[in-house]
Amino acid sequence: MTVTVVSSIIACIAVGVNVYLVIKNHKVKEILGKKEKDVSHRMYELAILKELGDRVGYSLNVQEIVDVITDSLHQFIEYSAVSYMLLEPEKVIFKMHLENSVHRRFVNDVRDRMLGSLGALLDREFDKKNVEEILSGAILVEEIEEPVRSFFNIPLVIDEKVVGVMTVADTKEGLYKEEEMTILYKIIQQASKAVTSLQGVVKTEQAKVNAMVESMEDGVVMTDSDYRILVINPAAKRVIGQEKNKEVTIFDFIDNLGGKMDIRGRLEESVKLKKDYVSERFGIKDRFYQAFVSPVRTMSDLNEGNVLGGVVIFHNVTREVELEHVRDDFTSMIVHELRTPLSGIQKASELLRMPKKPASFAKQYVDIIYQNSSSMLDLVNDILDSAKLQAGKFEISKEPADINEVMSNRIDFFTMSAAGKKIQLTSSVEKNVPKNVPFDVQRLKQVLNNLISNALKFTPEGGTISMNVFVHDPGVQVNTETEKASMHLAEAIPEDKFTALPQSLVITVTDTGSGISAEHIPELFNKFKQLDNKSLAPGIKGTGLGLAIARGIIGEHGGIIGVVSRVDGGSTFYFTLPLLAQEPKNAV
Amino acid sequence: MKKILVIDDDMTFVAMIKASTDPKKYVVESAGNGEEGLERIKESIPDLILLDIRMPKMDGIEFLKEMNEKFGKEKIPVLITSNVSSLDKISEGVSLGVRGYFIKSDESLQGIMGIIEQTLNN
Repeated sequence: MTVTVVSSIIACIAVGVNVYLVIKNHKVKEILGKKEKDVSHRMYELAILKELGDRVGYSLNVQEIVDVITDSLHQFIEYSAVSYMLLEPEKVIFKMHLENSVHRRFVNDVRDRMLGSLGALLDREFDKKNVEEILSGAILVEEIEEPVRSFFNIPLVIDEKVVGVMTVADTKEGLYKEEEMTILYKIIQQASKAVTSLQGVVKTEQAKVNAMVESMEDGVVMTDSDYRILVINPAAKRVIGQEKNKEVTIFDFIDNLGGKMDIRGRLEESVKLKKDYVSERFGIKDRFYQAFVSPVRTMSDLNEGNVLGGVVIFHNVTREVELEHVRDDFTSMIVHELRTPLSGIQKASELLRMPKKPASFAKQYVDIIYQNSSSMLDLVNDILDSAKLQAGKFEISKEPADINEVMSNRIDFFTMSAAGKKIQLTSSVEKNVPKNVPFDVQRLKQVLNNLISNALKFTPEGGTISMNVFVHDPGVQVNTETEKASMHLAEAIPEDKFTALPQSLVITVTDTGSGISAEHIPELFNKFKQLDNKSLAPGIKGTGLGLAIARGIIGEHGGIIGVVSRVDGGSTFYFTLPLLAQEPKNAV
Repeated sequence: MKKILVIDDDMTFVAMIKASTDPKKYVVESAGNGEEGLERIKESIPDLILLDIRMPKMDGIEFLKEMNEKFGKEKIPVLITSNVSSLDKISEGVSLGVRGYFIKSDESLQGIMGIIEQTLNN
């Protein structure tokens, strides 16, 4: 009895344990199964994202991306049809892929439901007439009268904007649970996230490209193969004299370019023959351009790519043309200035060789030869100096020297010429001027020669040229200093030029000549700007290199050079020499 | 006696022309720029003008324009005498009715005399 009871109990326990184990086993299996399913979902998600990546690459074409998803979705979800609707500017694309054959009404039903949900999402009405339908997969069979029994929509959202909707539908009932929807939703969300961020990158890049094209100095015009302008920047509109905001067509270019460049013909040639073209320089109004025409191809493959249209770049060469003019003018000026004394020497020698001329003429001709050869030598030296300055090879050797000596030396040198024109030439050096300022004596003489000879040129008979030397202290107004030295200036010296200067010598050369008009002053010390000596001032002759060289010499000393002037009231040229040696700088 | 007006700021050239012309055949007058040149013409019309291009105040081209306006185009024979290397200015002068041109440094004084005589005889 006891045995039976015991064995019964044991049996019961065994059964209980068994039942427990079975239940437990079942639960474990269930958990495992769920896990497996989860893993396979995850795998599927990953696989689909990888496939998206592989197949779509960096495509931003939403349709292509949605195609990838719909193509592989059946691996995971059961459905009769998967479809999507995408919004296009003019229409709605409706694409449905059928796994099983269905009735036409099934398709229409899905379409209407999708249109309805798209309408609800975007809060607007969609007309069936604007739907472009694409069916693929199984064929439509009229005998299968199965309606839509299971159905769910997932909106397609890119960059927070609804671009369409995706739908899974089946003829069986109760097929789709939360789980399926979540998975599809997740996949679409991931894809949308990828596209959104990719679009973000593209937008940023595009904004950069747009900003670049907009701000380019060269004109850029891109047309499609029918010469419709797709891209145009303000510079291109400027080429044909159009306002920034005006709409322009290829005809505006054709009209304005006239015979200078056949833009349409060149684009046609470029697009058809896939050839680049570079135009000759041509002028429109006061500007000069060179045009480059190229075909625009798709990026995928440069050799085989489709030609989308053509691009014309108008490169503004006005500056180059101007520079060429300046260079030509400069060359012809130098040639002129060299030929003149040379031809004088040649002619004088020719006269000397003539046997008939009386001997008394000889001295006159020898004088002419001497003067002409001297002036040529000066010119050659000036050209050499300015070439050195331009090449940055201009050297000075600073030694402590007495400016007082240099000034009186120059006064002596010019006294004769000044007396010839009845011009009074004076110099005054303030008592506190030190006798050991570091400067290059020869070069400083060159600067003074230039300033004094210019002053002599412009000062009419009976005028005066006065030179002054004083010390400028930092923090003191330079015009206060000139007043203290009771100096006469043509105009007040601009204080701002002196504010940053160290303690310096200031040397001024003031004449009572014709003065220089304000518009010419900025060009005065510029080598290439003063070639047109007619505009500089009436009566000036020579190369105009002298002041540019003076500026270079003073710059090498770390000083500044400038001029103040009043038309018909004379000019004051001033320059500074630092009392302590300084780094060279731009002297103006 | 033929009267030659040399309009040139190159005093050496003026002196050379004066020195090499036969005083029995020619009177040589000079002007340092276009403005002075116009003054000289106002005083008396010369038989020939030797005209420089690069001059201060009024250059040769401006002088030609003014002279054409005031005294009529091609009324007075003009030879451009210059050391300018670019042909632009010279061709501009030709369009303004000058008879010819020579580059000063390319011609000897004797050569210049030949050109002057030829121009005056034509």
